[in-house]
Amino acid sequence: MSSCMEYGIRVNDVGRLPADPRELCPASWRSVLPPGPLRAIYFGSEFCADLLPDAAKVVRLCGDARDRGVEAVLLTPLAAPGGLVRIEQLLAGVTQAREAPAVVFNDWGVANLLRESFPHLQRRAGRLMNRGLRDPRLMEKAADSKNAPGDRGRRMRSLLVRYGVTAVETDPDLDGSFLGDGTEGLQRVLYLPYAFAASSRNCLIKADGAQTVDECFTKGLGLPCNGLCRGQWHRVDRSDTTLPIWRAGNTIFYEVPQFRAEVQIEQADRIVLHERPTP
Amino acid sequence: MKILAPLRHSEEVAPLLEAGADEFFCGLTPPDWESQFGLAWANRRAPESAGISDVADFERIIARAGRRPVYVALNAPYYPPGAVEMLAAFGALLLDKGASGLIVADMDLLLALVEAGHASHLHLSSLATCSNAGSAKFYRDLGVRRIILPRHLTLSEIEEILIPGLEFEPFLLNDGCVFEEGLCATTHAAGAFCTMDGQGTEGISPGTLERYDFWKWTLNHCGCRTGNGYPMGPCGLCAIPRLLASGIASFKVVGREASLERKEASVRIAARSLRLAQDGAGPEEIRTAVVEMRGWSQMCDERHLCYYPDIWERKGGGC
Repeated sequence: MSSCMEYGIRVNDVGRLPADPRELCPASWRSVLPPGPLRAIYFGSEFCADLLPDAAKVVRLCGDARDRGVEAVLLTPLAAPGGLVRIEQLLAGVTQAREAPAVVFNDWGVANLLRESFPHLQRRAGRLMNRGLRDPRLMEKAADSKNAPGDRGRRMRSLLVRYGVTAVETDPDLDGSFLGDGTEGLQRVLYLPYAFAASSRNCLIKADGAQTVDECFTKGLGLPCNGLCRGQWHRVDRSDTTLPIWRAGNTIFYEVPQFRAEVQIEQADRIVLHERPTP
Repeated sequence: MKILAPLRHSEEVAPLLEAGADEFFCGLTPPDWESQFGLAWANRRAPESAGISDVADFERIIARAGRRPVYVALNAPYYPPGAVEMLAAFGALLLDKGASGLIVADMDLLLALVEAGHASHLHLSSLATCSNAGSAKFYRDLGVRRIILPRHLTLSEIEEILIPGLEFEPFLLNDGCVFEEGLCATTHAAGAFCTMDGQGTEGISPGTLERYDFWKWTLNHCGCRTGNGYPMGPCGLCAIPRLLASGIASFKVVGREASLERKEASVRIAARSLRLAQDGAGPEEIRTAVVEMRGWSQMCDERHLCYYPDIWERKGGGC
């Protein structure tokens, strides 16, 4: 762990920011998390382009962040062609308003877009760039990843540095070495307390709001979504894991076992806290 | 335009060539893998049920395939520390022995193979989720030769992704996936995580959960069923004419772990559909031919098996 941990928090709107960012977590997590100041607010979507805010909202959030003396960080998802266009238009609108949030990309196409068209925006590699296993059925059982040797992701981190990326971000995975030792100069960011297990365009929540069977799952790909999932997260009862699991939008999340988080916190320079599972 | 067929054994080469395969892919695990990396998989499928048994059988495959390309999947979504170096050396060995390409998903392995000068032999696995033209450009700039497209794209989206300087390979038949495979951070080694997904989710209507179960059932070959010997799984045969027109290089028939009978039937129906399309048939004619061969017309009429249902007009029946 770096000598001075800092925090980001995942928000949908900036209301009152907590004096201590750890207040956002369930009480059981507070003793696991080192003290540190709030430095950033994260907003946007990592998993679904339909959940991206419009430019006006991003501009407002950037202003709110500036007023509070913290960094504004826009999360972007893996993108199908329409999603990439949406992201490009969003960034164009935001930069036209003279705002310059840092942007987390989860797609090499978005990374390319940032390099070529918005090079002045700080770019950060998001958690979907780490394809390490996070299977909740194994996360609660497997051996402590502290014993894992090696340095997974070294070549990709070197590539990120060459591409002008400033940070590498992830949630905890089984291996635990993705963030590296920090020698590349990338800020190392860990998302807590929820990891994602799986995500899909064939969204169960979208299907739940569909008017016809021809809008569900594969048949609904490419159709617009009414965003029913906003502000919703659904507890999932499964018999194959004891970890708390939720579905939020098109993604399954679970609460990471604290013993795994403790190991990976040691490699992080920033922790981003999520008050609830958010796609 | 080619039909890409899965292989698990050299004995499968001749019957699949006879059925209409133009090129092959298989999975192979390095000999010393298990002693160093335990039960981690060297590619996306279980080695014991879907992999070639050893390098000697791979060499027989190369010999029997003749001039037909054979690609090897080294496409686990991630590898444990230390594995990339072993796999990069193993991949180079397979290329030396006649593999036409390596199917790769993990970025560190891909970069290691690029560094070793093998970029022009690399096929990007669908697990790497290249789902827009900007991403395709990124991989083209690295020197990758072919992009295997993710499953869950519409035909319009596929057409927007295709850029010059790359080959593209979409899914054509079999083996659906509930999640975006590249964004499924679970492993089938612990059982398919998606099997239990849906039921148990609070706040979702029973009707939606029932439709979800039905959809998952279709992805799983309607409970592993066949129709007249042809698999009843995800199918993009009627979309071949449009995909051909867009410039697709090869059509992927999935299922390395399947029986030879299922592989043969899959390749036969795919090759028949491709021939029809090359002779000018449209989606309707191909669907008629497919239903004649496979039966179960309702599954086609209601688009339940379609990888690319947007080839057909939406009907709009209420939930």
